[in-house]
Amino acid sequence: MIELVNVPSLMTIQDLGRTGYQKFGVPVSGVMDEVSARLANYLVGNEDNTPLLEFVLRGPTIRFHFSAVFAIGGDVDAKLNGIPINPWESYWAKRGDVLEVGTLKSGMYGYIAFAGGIKCEPILGSCSTYIRANFGRALKSGDTLSLGYAILTEKEGKKLPKEFVPKYSNESEVMVILGPQEEHFTEEGIKTFLSSTYEVTAESDRMGYRLEGPAIEHSEKGADIITDAIPLGSIQVPKSGKPIIMLADRQTTGGYAKIGVVARIDVPKVAQTRPGGKLKFRAVSVEEAQKNLKRRETIMEAIKMFLLGKLRAYKLKVFEEELIAFTKVEKKR
Amino acid sequence: MFPIFKPAGDSAIAIIFGDEIDEEVNKKVHAVAEAIEEAAPEWLIEVVPTYTSVYIYYDPLKVSYSEVLEAVKPFLSAESREEKKRIIEIPVAYGGEFGPDIEFVAEYNGLTVEEVIEIHSKPLYRVYMLGFLPGFAYLGGMDERIATPRLEKPRLKVPAGSVGIAGKQTGWYAIESPGGWRLIGRTPLKTFDPSKSPPSIVKAGDYVKFVPISDEEFWEIYKQEWGENNDRAC
Repeated sequence: MIELVNVPSLMTIQDLGRTGYQKFGVPVSGVMDEVSARLANYLVGNEDNTPLLEFVLRGPTIRFHFSAVFAIGGDVDAKLNGIPINPWESYWAKRGDVLEVGTLKSGMYGYIAFAGGIKCEPILGSCSTYIRANFGRALKSGDTLSLGYAILTEKEGKKLPKEFVPKYSNESEVMVILGPQEEHFTEEGIKTFLSSTYEVTAESDRMGYRLEGPAIEHSEKGADIITDAIPLGSIQVPKSGKPIIMLADRQTTGGYAKIGVVARIDVPKVAQTRPGGKLKFRAVSVEEAQKNLKRRETIMEAIKMFLLGKLRAYKLKVFEEELIAFTKVEKKR
Repeated sequence: MFPIFKPAGDSAIAIIFGDEIDEEVNKKVHAVAEAIEEAAPEWLIEVVPTYTSVYIYYDPLKVSYSEVLEAVKPFLSAESREEKKRIIEIPVAYGGEFGPDIEFVAEYNGLTVEEVIEIHSKPLYRVYMLGFLPGFAYLGGMDERIATPRLEKPRLKVPAGSVGIAGKQTGWYAIESPGGWRLIGRTPLKTFDPSKSPPSIVKAGDYVKFVPISDEEFWEIYKQEWGENNDRAC
């Protein structure tokens, strides 16, 4: 069991989301930054979808009532019993140990993964918190959480190679696939969207990020559409012309025209942008977006295997370019 | 012209069957959505039918956009099987504490409260789609004689089951939430229950009939649905 001694910001239990129920109006939810969350889980030997803690900007203080292995995902200083520890590394905590996680130095969402995951009663197949429907709730100081069973030996001391540590920026270029309602915008409107810089406003949360910037012009078809589905990363443009990027807790359907959808590979980049941060959009084809996503997933799989001790990593220098190569670890007989 | 296929990002495809709200278009939407769901190709994540479109969410690590496009084409000829039309009766206690805005709706439209109840509970409403919030049903077929604009200032808390009118639209709040609809009644049914499968008592393609009940009947059904100890006030 772990005790949340201090929870200074919004903190929830999340996994990779609730799929299969959007046709009943149930939002997907899930972690805002799947890459950081999955890497944190890999560090403690968990699967991709294991429930973990997600916090906004400021981390919690946690007391361990049993031994546990944990890892922090995020650009943050932390202390275990007052001694500084690193993010992206797994540690063994003993009964009575206290973990203090500080404030994120970059990025918006941080993660704490525990070997075995956080125990929870799934709702519609997922442990993701969705506050609006009382699927779980925001965690608060004094709450206790149980952890799932895990063999802890050989799970601590794993370190994510620094080449793979996510970097969070407050100025990003984001790939988008235009449509599906591009005909609701003038040519000029689409040009404005693709050539301007948009700022993330303070009116942003797990549901969506509202952007400020040059207004996008609608065509004579207008801003409203017959209510239609909203995939992750959809960029809706209401009458104001100011885009809204729909994220994890987005409603399943909506009536504003979508000018484009953020490529899945770039959703974490958007999610980690703080209010005041800037985004620029670049149109890509579906094929290009999918190719990039596949490449990332190959790397994610290799990192997972590396942290499980099934792959070995080598640094190579090829024509001045540094590369990481993975090879299989042969089992000794 | 229709259907039109469009990528909706790199993990979804939209198949659009029309450009206005229409019962025949919507029947086609549900027929195609069901057929694809039943076939359950291994790359399929989920299918979301709406008024005029079907969104297919797929795993781009298993399949490409063009492969999905080819794979769904045979399902476009799916025929609606609505002879097995489901009619779901939703009991509603109208007015009083359950429908604090019913007098306004009556006055706004120059009707009596009894006429509002009669007009509202008469039609068979089609469930065009579910969306927005868990269990929220988009119903078609409300009589325009009771159309009423939304509240200027939404209520912070509307109890689950509240039945309301917003413009030419009617429906109920499946979960407690803030809301700006004019409330005319409330159903004691637990219309959305995440511990059940499926979690919603209606699904897209169903038909809904509102059945007026008395306050006593409301509390009787309410206890069966929500349990004795549930706080009446919430």
